[in-house]
Amino acid sequence: MSAVDAGEPAEADPRRHVSDYFRLERWELAGEDGGDRPTSVAGRTPVDPHQRGPGGGLRTGGLLTNLDSLGGFTSGLSVLPQWIVTTSLMATVSELAHIGPLRMRADVLRRGRNSVVTSLGVVDEGAGDRHVAAATMSCAVLDPGAMVLHFDRPFHQAMPEASPDPVRPDEFFCIEPGEGPVTRLRLEDRLRNPWGILHGGAVAMLADEAACRAAVAAAPAGFGPNGVAASDVVLHYLRPVKAGPVEARCEVLGRRAGRTTVRVAIHDVGSDDRVVTVGSVAVLAV
Amino acid sequence: MTFLGYPPAEHLLGDLGMAAEITSETTARVRTRATPQIASADGGVRAGVLATLVDVVGGAIAARVLRPDWMATADLALEVVGPVPGPWVEARGSLLRRGRTTLVVEALVVGVDEDGNDLVVDGRAPDPVAWASMTFAVLPTQDASSGGRPSPELPTRWAFSGGGLDLPVLEALPVTVLDGPAGRLSIPARPYLHNSFGAVQGGVVALLAEAAGAEALGAAQGRDASDMVVTDLQIAYLALAKVGPIVSSARVLATGTDGRAGAVVELHDAGAGHRLTTVVNVTAVPAEHFDPTVV
Repeated sequence: MSAVDAGEPAEADPRRHVSDYFRLERWELAGEDGGDRPTSVAGRTPVDPHQRGPGGGLRTGGLLTNLDSLGGFTSGLSVLPQWIVTTSLMATVSELAHIGPLRMRADVLRRGRNSVVTSLGVVDEGAGDRHVAAATMSCAVLDPGAMVLHFDRPFHQAMPEASPDPVRPDEFFCIEPGEGPVTRLRLEDRLRNPWGILHGGAVAMLADEAACRAAVAAAPAGFGPNGVAASDVVLHYLRPVKAGPVEARCEVLGRRAGRTTVRVAIHDVGSDDRVVTVGSVAVLAV
Repeated sequence: MTFLGYPPAEHLLGDLGMAAEITSETTARVRTRATPQIASADGGVRAGVLATLVDVVGGAIAARVLRPDWMATADLALEVVGPVPGPWVEARGSLLRRGRTTLVVEALVVGVDEDGNDLVVDGRAPDPVAWASMTFAVLPTQDASSGGRPSPELPTRWAFSGGGLDLPVLEALPVTVLDGPAGRLSIPARPYLHNSFGAVQGGVVALLAEAAGAEALGAAQGRDASDMVVTDLQIAYLALAKVGPIVSSARVLATGTDGRAGAVVELHDAGAGHRLTTVVNVTAVPAEHFDPTVV
């Protein structure tokens, strides 16, 4: 289960750190029925230099974090007064070299009693609104309990200011340095979502980093001389991450024509090492 | 032989000759012969057929784990690793999680020999063919009346037998290309393609999306669809496709420098008010991209 980002003002909820790190602006689009159950929310992220990956654009884990935040928020708004947790995220990034900013749009496709399905599209405003990525996410509907979910409508959250002290994504997400098939993340409180569990975007960033390291470690010398980057990613959030540390264990399934397929299993080591997320990542030499 | 009376005598799954086996309470395997009728441009099995295979193996596991409840596929993702090295291709599925409302299954697809044994090529096991994952929505028994409620006695081994395919699988559906560059293709919702709900089977939906993506992505690159190899399918099943015809459309994403490109394919049930039934992210590359000298 991944993040919900309730969108509270930053000064009221320091747990908005993850979406603020990418300076994600969000605004609600008018619903078809004009009611208070919106089906579409837009977002924009500037792609700051320290967040770019070897592909030249926003690294895929960062893009997935933004999609998880935007799609989760959109899905949550659509089921108020209930809320959601992400259960699966399927994304394809067809262009890795973005100019930026990237503009995203989330549209609720199906809203059922137990689940919400949302589609997401990404265009590169700096490249003439070129379509660079698409994703579909599924969320489970849940009772928010005592959590207060109040938003001024129509919702708008301005783009946060740039940090005077930028840190790279792996450092921000507390991903420990290393190489090989196992990559570890320290679970610090600022990476938790309003439910107190690890933000789904952090899980995606860990999967990206771990799969890229595993692909490089398993490759012959000379593979990806300019680096590697994730493109197609599928993640099933099976259980919430509560304790940490979090470990991504990768299995390289095969490599063909510059593309490596990696199965990623993420474990919450402090919760009896249980499997929390399983997915696959396609890693490209760039 | 059928699984609880499914599929009918004349059915795509029978013509694909799939054979299934429950290997434990939470695992199963399903295989089909890799024939020219289901081959893609690189000589491997089409991604849409692989998706059909894993949908069947996932459904077999889900039916056993959930009994007496039933299920419907909510999403399916398939990533092709490489072409099939053997005469048969086999999906080996295992349960990842069983929740109150959903069930998640993963499947590894491998090549096997005539006896179902793992292949050995140059002294080692070849790379798998594909990895897949699926989410099933749990349908409590009282809601499952249209789905063919399973009996407590589920078979542990069965085979779908038919006359076999004597023409390419897309022609057997049949797929009609209405507007290739727009990814507008169509299939009828006929019993030959039905699932246990009387709607178009999830694997057939994958085949249509694969074909639509290849048409649109090929046209965007000035290529024929038959020159494109689909490597990834990410499918969200939103509603049953029951009336037909089922018509696709595609939006092409940016194309990478190596010709790798993506498209978002939508399927609508034209006979049901043009209802959106499925959204699929499709990734494809030109077949020439698979130069064996490239690592």
